[in-house]
Amino acid sequence: MVTSSSSWARALLQISPYTFSAIGIAISIGVSVLGAACLIGAAIKAPRITSKNLISVIFCEAVAIYGVIVAIILQTKLDSVPQSKIYDPVSLRAGYAIFASEIIVGFANLVCGLCVGIIGSSCALSDAQNSTLFVKILVIEIFGSALGLFGVIVGIIISAQATWPMK
Amino acid sequence: MEVMIKFLIASALMWTVPIAVLYGFNHNFFPGSASLSQETVTLWSGILAVISVNMVIVLYIISAMKEPPSDKHEPDPRFLADAKASIKQQLGPTEGDPSSDRAKQE
Repeated sequence: MVTSSSSWARALLQISPYTFSAIGIAISIGVSVLGAACLIGAAIKAPRITSKNLISVIFCEAVAIYGVIVAIILQTKLDSVPQSKIYDPVSLRAGYAIFASEIIVGFANLVCGLCVGIIGSSCALSDAQNSTLFVKILVIEIFGSALGLFGVIVGIIISAQATWPMK
Repeated sequence: MEVMIKFLIASALMWTVPIAVLYGFNHNFFPGSASLSQETVTLWSGILAVISVNMVIVLYIISAMKEPPSDKHEPDPRFLADAKASIKQQLGPTEGDPSSDRAKQE
């Protein structure tokens, strides 16, 4: 196959790595906040509101904060590169590493937020029925929030290698 | 009210502590963080920030579990009255039947 002037390989090589990095930082914080907002509300007619019911809300908030942490880490990794080295292989690698790290964190937080939100609403409902069920469903929720944690850890490890070429 | 205050404090801590850890590493508030390479700074600042968020969550859960259990949930009195009335209504018509059943069994 002849490499025409508009093949995918050439297109990817011509896009600046900063594009990927910037889009990725936006995805990381945006999608994880989207996931954190998935605390599907469950309203019960129970006169008591104690701290136990708010634990699910705290878990969802932690998901959003993971996104913020990774976005801040990644924006400290953006360095200026001299004009001649923008399309250097090393700088392309740095751009892709930042992009990959952000997609990982963004989507892991999205599903983690969905999971924690659904579990949290069922936790509130079952607690209103029978108070002994609360701790059991809380344990499930802790496992659910570990999903977001995995994404953050992998994202941080990948982004630690993203170094731009020196001048 | 106390519940709200505890929740707001926990939320505020969850935001400020990891960001403070991150900035501390990048701007050399912690002694010795200037000598680390860029890679290790990223790794350690990220891991410590995530651990600090989880510590705040654990502390909040512990303090929530220690709260004294509030008074038992009283069912809505009108609902209770309706339920009792419907049960009595169901038992009422059937109380006349056992005598006729005994007659049939013989």
